[in-house]
Amino acid sequence: MNNIYKIIVFVSISLVLVGTFVMPIPVIPGLYDKARIIYLHVPMSWIAVLSFLMSMINSVQYLRKRDVVYDLKAYSTAEVGFIFTILATVTGSLWAKFNWGSFWNWDPRETSIFILLLIYGAYFSLRSAIENPEQKAKLASVYSIIAFVTVPFFMFIMPRIVESLHPADTIVNSQGKITMNPLMLSIFLFSLLSFTLLFLWIVNVKIRSEKLKLARLIKINNNK
Amino acid sequence: MHDFLEQNAMYLVLIIALVIWAGLFGYIFKIDRNLKKLEREEQ
Repeated sequence: MNNIYKIIVFVSISLVLVGTFVMPIPVIPGLYDKARIIYLHVPMSWIAVLSFLMSMINSVQYLRKRDVVYDLKAYSTAEVGFIFTILATVTGSLWAKFNWGSFWNWDPRETSIFILLLIYGAYFSLRSAIENPEQKAKLASVYSIIAFVTVPFFMFIMPRIVESLHPADTIVNSQGKITMNPLMLSIFLFSLLSFTLLFLWIVNVKIRSEKLKLARLIKINNNK
Repeated sequence: MHDFLEQNAMYLVLIIALVIWAGLFGYIFKIDRNLKKLEREEQ
């Protein structure tokens, strides 16, 4: 990735931060200025879903082609996704402290993201528990595919079928109509795009470092 | 000073967030540059 891309990422995330903290926000009953968290919290959850999806696609590719690069990609995207899931949990928890009175309330949204963290935490445990690289890649790929099946359920379905205190209809209502104020929506969409660009850069760095690690390992083994 | 901070709290938070972001960006940028160097050595 060239330097122009990195500068675009730097400027756009900086603009998102300016939009988050100082741009005017319409009065939203019960939320007021606390609604500003949407510019950071939702893009982080979006990145989590995107990265787990990418991990699943790369796992499928590994099982089809048995090319270790796909396994590295699946692992790297899952790891970045896991970090973004933690960030989404932390930002949500901070918001909950000011809106609901405590950092953790076992609300359906909080419970579902916690279960998701456990599921992907187990993915990394599984990887570190197997020494044989081929077996590790094979089992981790199968696990990643199964783990992703739960993502839409925990991210989108469960919080909607169980009664929750989490704000609903903030972007799109149940009839599919956009309910967000146009200025807020433009900052929000810009934030989604900026965080996606940042995510792609981080994943690129991670994959390259993993490839380098693998190349060094192969070199050491060949020299033995 | 207290009045200034009270009236401009959002700007103060923004500056702190921007400083943290600049630090994180610099860190990833440095890793990227070092990786490029290692990749060149490997080839």
